[in-house]
Amino acid sequence: MVVITLLLGGGAGLWATLLSTLCAGYVLLDPPTPGNLSPVRWTASALYAATTSGLVGLVVVLRQALRDSDAARDRLLRVAADAADREAFLTSVLASSTDCIKVLDLDGKLTFMSEGGQHVMEVSDFNAIAGCPWPDFWTGSGHVEALAAVQSARAGRSASFVGRASTMRGTPKWWHVAVSPIRGLDGTSQRILSVSRDITALRESEEERDRFVRLAENSTDFIGMAHVDGRMFYMNDAARELVGLGAADITALVIADFFPPEEAAIVANEVLPAVGRDGHWAGELRFRHFVTGEPIPVLYAMFPVTDPDGNTLGYGTVTRDFRARKRAEEDMRMMNGELAHRLKNVLAVVQSIALQTLRNATDLPSASQNLSARLVALGAATDVLTGASWRSADLRALAEHALAPHGELGTRIVLDGPAVTLQPQVAIALALALHELATNAAKYGALSTEAGRVHLAWQVDGTGPEARFRLTWREQGGPPVTKPARRGFGSTLIERSLRSYFGGTAETEYRPDGLTFTLDARLGDAALEGENG
Amino acid sequence: MGQGTPIGDKTVLVVEDEALLRFDIVDFFAERGWRVFEAGNAAEAIALLARHGEIRVVLTDVQMPGDMNGLKLAHYVRERFPPTLLFVVSGEAPVSREALPARATFLPKPFDLHRVLNQIERSAVSIPRP
Repeated sequence: MVVITLLLGGGAGLWATLLSTLCAGYVLLDPPTPGNLSPVRWTASALYAATTSGLVGLVVVLRQALRDSDAARDRLLRVAADAADREAFLTSVLASSTDCIKVLDLDGKLTFMSEGGQHVMEVSDFNAIAGCPWPDFWTGSGHVEALAAVQSARAGRSASFVGRASTMRGTPKWWHVAVSPIRGLDGTSQRILSVSRDITALRESEEERDRFVRLAENSTDFIGMAHVDGRMFYMNDAARELVGLGAADITALVIADFFPPEEAAIVANEVLPAVGRDGHWAGELRFRHFVTGEPIPVLYAMFPVTDPDGNTLGYGTVTRDFRARKRAEEDMRMMNGELAHRLKNVLAVVQSIALQTLRNATDLPSASQNLSARLVALGAATDVLTGASWRSADLRALAEHALAPHGELGTRIVLDGPAVTLQPQVAIALALALHELATNAAKYGALSTEAGRVHLAWQVDGTGPEARFRLTWREQGGPPVTKPARRGFGSTLIERSLRSYFGGTAETEYRPDGLTFTLDARLGDAALEGENG
Repeated sequence: MGQGTPIGDKTVLVVEDEALLRFDIVDFFAERGWRVFEAGNAAEAIALLARHGEIRVVLTDVQMPGDMNGLKLAHYVRERFPPTLLFVVSGEAPVSREALPARATFLPKPFDLHRVLNQIERSAVSIPRP
């Protein structure tokens, strides 16, 4: 009956109780007749029924309690399952975030790091870094910023910064970091949340862009950009410098303003259409200086500036200052002109020497010989002049070159004098004169005998404008000297040309013991000023 | 200044600072019976012209030291002594016709004195004698 009550509930229990009471009465009274029951029997039966009914009631309550308990347990299980779902969700969010999400204690020590965070920070074992002071992961100014951010969060304020920190494997990275307090129920900071985002790629592209900007800004070439309608929006320092704009506002300028009118027409009619058609144009043009108006030769290159979709945003130019190049070309042209001029002068001198040689010649073979020797002397003088860019000639070098073919220098021909720098024309005349003197000495004078000697001496007397230049050619040890009956071109050339070039006196003395030639001139007429002592 | 003086027959002024070249020209004319004056710069040339109104031919180099080059000297001569025959010599780029005085002949260096003489003799025919 208890079992029935438990299984089937209170109603069924009471019916079972009634049934069992009737059964019990019948068994005891055999055959029981309800009207013949004694009071004792009635009492016993009533007690039994009451007891059994109470038992049934008890069991009913027990059954209800058991049922309630089951429901409570189911609810509990459902809540637990929900909580697990939520945690799994949060965990997966943390794990899948590429941000490095960390929880720090109020001292800034690491207590938690998200799974995704461990991945980007290349952490293999969080336990190895748990408890470490988080600001210590930062280097340089990042460390200072991290300390400040922790302090802010502890005081209840959020903070963010950009810094540089290496991952646990040592990969350097740039991070954007947001640090905020995690508040407790009482509103005070309990812990600190730190979320770091890897911005290395972004930073690198910024740095790359910065490098290009610096490249443009520091370029010595003119770099400029203009809108499609020609209005300028960028010029580097070199560009501003080249055209004299300084720090002026350029936004009111258009491309055409940079050129003289005729060149602006070329830009409008040729350059811009070519840029549109071919994507570039390069050639020589002239800018106009904004202050002086002076034309500036440039090598101009223009190209379209486009967005990533290929739409033209404007025009860019990288333009080279061509002034130096133009000057070099001009210098080259001048040098060529100067060279032609010198060449023609030398040819004129050769012509003059040849004609005078022929004019004074007694016979063709000697004329030929004399002409050859004179041209060699001219060539020797040219060597000395070329060594000094045809601007001057050192007297000693000139004498050595002119006299070396005629006798051993230092023994048969002795040179003696200070350094004197001669003017080019004077140098040629003196070289030719020395050649003639040596030639004559070899034919008739000191150099015609073994014992003869020549002493060439020069000196500078005095200083300043009145300084004198004296040169003496003295022959000794040669055959007795007699004045020649007829003076040849050589002798004439010596006195005549030196007198003319040096503007002084030039004399030949036919002394019996040896020919002497003296030249006396103002130093300034023969030498280059400031180069002689 | 020069008009009052009869133009001398066969009188030439050679203006050339390069003596080696000047001698050849001077000798060339002297050998042919000319009276030759020589100058190494424009100032000397002007002084000689002032003294010798009989100078009929002036042959001058362009490049010369001093304030006045040969081209300026040629213009000066053309203005002051209009009948003078003028030869302008230069080793540099040819002087343009516009830059030359009227009836002047430009000679690039080196030049042929025989042709110069021919030209002088031809023009002498056309110059009326007094």
